[in-house]
Amino acid sequence: MSRTVTGGIPIGFRYTPGVGNGAFLDALRDRGVLLGSRCEACGVTYLPARIFCERCLAELTPGVECGPEGELVSWTVGHVDLDERPLPSPEALGLVRPDRSDTVLMHHLLGDGPWTIGQRVEVVLADERRGSILDIEGFRPA
Amino acid sequence: MSGRRVAVIGAGMTRFVRRAQETGKELSFLAASKALESAGITLADVDAVCLTSAPDAFDGVHRKGDYLSDGAGAWGKPFIRTYVGGGSGVFTPIQGWYTVASGIADVVLVVAEEKMSSCQPHPQGAFLTIFDNMIERPLGPNLLWIFALEMNRYMQAYGLDKRDIASVAVKNKRNAADHPSALLGEAEITVEDVLASETLAWPVQRLDVSPISDGAAAIVMASEDVASRLTDRPVWVQGVGWNLDTTYWTNRDLAYPQYVENAARMAYDMAGVTEPRKQIHVAEPYDPFDYKELHHLEGLLLFDRGTAPEAAAAGVTARDGDLPVCPSGGLLGVGNPIAAAGLMKVAELFWQLRGEAGARQVPGTPERGLAQAWGDLMQVGTVVVMGTEGGPSPTASAATPPVAPRATALREEAFRTAEGAVTIDELDLAYEWDAGEAIGAFLEALRDGRIVATVCTACGRTLVPPRVFCERCFRPTDSWTQVPDAGRVETFSICHVRWDMVPLDPPEIPAVIRLDGTSEGGFLHKLGGVEPDAVSIGMEVEAVWRPVGERTGSILDIAYFRPRRGDAR
Repeated sequence: MSRTVTGGIPIGFRYTPGVGNGAFLDALRDRGVLLGSRCEACGVTYLPARIFCERCLAELTPGVECGPEGELVSWTVGHVDLDERPLPSPEALGLVRPDRSDTVLMHHLLGDGPWTIGQRVEVVLADERRGSILDIEGFRPA
Repeated sequence: MSGRRVAVIGAGMTRFVRRAQETGKELSFLAASKALESAGITLADVDAVCLTSAPDAFDGVHRKGDYLSDGAGAWGKPFIRTYVGGGSGVFTPIQGWYTVASGIADVVLVVAEEKMSSCQPHPQGAFLTIFDNMIERPLGPNLLWIFALEMNRYMQAYGLDKRDIASVAVKNKRNAADHPSALLGEAEITVEDVLASETLAWPVQRLDVSPISDGAAAIVMASEDVASRLTDRPVWVQGVGWNLDTTYWTNRDLAYPQYVENAARMAYDMAGVTEPRKQIHVAEPYDPFDYKELHHLEGLLLFDRGTAPEAAAAGVTARDGDLPVCPSGGLLGVGNPIAAAGLMKVAELFWQLRGEAGARQVPGTPERGLAQAWGDLMQVGTVVVMGTEGGPSPTASAATPPVAPRATALREEAFRTAEGAVTIDELDLAYEWDAGEAIGAFLEALRDGRIVATVCTACGRTLVPPRVFCERCFRPTDSWTQVPDAGRVETFSICHVRWDMVPLDPPEIPAVIRLDGTSEGGFLHKLGGVEPDAVSIGMEVEAVWRPVGERTGSILDIAYFRPRRGDAR
């Protein structure tokens, strides 16, 4: 005989940004800049800002302004949502390496394309900024 | 001991706080970088990284192991997360030990992190599925039930005085007043304060239990040749042990942690410890509850059964007592970011055995100590024995490790209003759990007003909850039998809070009930039709069934158990 019960796990979460992300989000909201951290020993600039270098575990101080332009490292265009229902209109998503950064940001691509790996793009900031990754509206062709 | 000799050569930790501003990655970094600094090495010297963190659900990050890996220094290195629930913090140094002992690596960084503050409304919500979904969760359990039921059974088995047990909370919170990482150090706390604190699930009161916390800890472990090159004060891992009791928690001996004894014997054998009461000079047993420190000390064979509470109250386990226990302040004093709290104990042994514990230093020259943790469904024991082996005598360091521990405490208000924070109201996941063969048949029988068990003829046990295989003999069970719907109360609690800590009025009375004709332990249900004050262990009870038409084939077809009035069916 088969017998089942249904249920869930009744929890939610509140994620605070931490020290590194917090510095990044503050700079984005207050100054509209993309703030990273540089490890001189490893020669790597991380974006968003971090308080440590993952390669050598040195402590880092957020303070390198990256962008506003950068390079499109990869892109995709999504046609369906999480449940695989068609989207009202296709959405372009990109991995962008802002200038002076060695790491990429994932964000929306604004415009109709076509998109080319290696093309130059620039950040588009939201009119109203609240200290969120959505203070960036996306990246558009530069 | 088999394999290469392994030493601990560095340790570090964050402050333990109620809500950390830092992310879990950042906490891991703060602890890991301190441990490397303490060992006098850099990340380039590390061959492999071992990490632990308790359930993913606490941080709310699936696959928390690789999420935390960058802060643990694992970039581009052999890396794995191990996890045995609350036992993890003492298990992962065992993983570090065998990674070095086996010759796979010369230097291993061991990191433990927990950030419980993310989980809303209470991390207990993440624990609800550790109860059996078919026969326990419908009762509306609260994790505190397990501890309260165990504590009550322990107290009853040996006639213990709750004042004596409360002395552990006092000792540890006082010890923690000297710990720079501590969340809960209180130099002036008294037994009266503990006994006057809010009752959560009798006999567990607020100050009997360590609260949820955020933090991280780390140690560096090295092979003998590397250790002797880097330090003249290595602390050797002499023995390791771990052991698991049955996952049917209501079938266990709740008064004595046999699994801790088994783990301790494994570690003592490896370490050549034949008289632990003479050869162990400092102990850091796991103390998420005050009674657990005592329970564990007995399982570790450091006290006879039932005698640790009186010894603790008499000061035997004080920092300057015959056997200093939790000189760090333990989980009750330093805090309880689960996995990190266990590794904190190993770090404390390192500092104590090197004579570097400053104001927390136990007197004399301790040469050997042990750390122990406990977890999974409250039935895993993990033990590490460490010692100096008569190397160069410890020289007290000017500083008191952990040196200037960091982590930024966020107050509740700042946590709720933090800019950039993201809130997920409820995890959008639903499950359908199948009862399986044995529990399916058990539930069908409940619909008919019968309780059925399986029988293993090899060991002669009659098993409730029933299973289709005997986990001891590891063979199929042989037959089904009906057992009476009456039995005895093995242990009970009077619980005043729901799992999310919302008050319950009137309180409810969960109990482990051993049915007549079954072999051991029992199963979880609630008592009713009785005043809480009138309940006692050993009381005879009988099932009160829902009316026939209202039964659904659920554990709730038994409405509750009440004091026995008539003949059992």
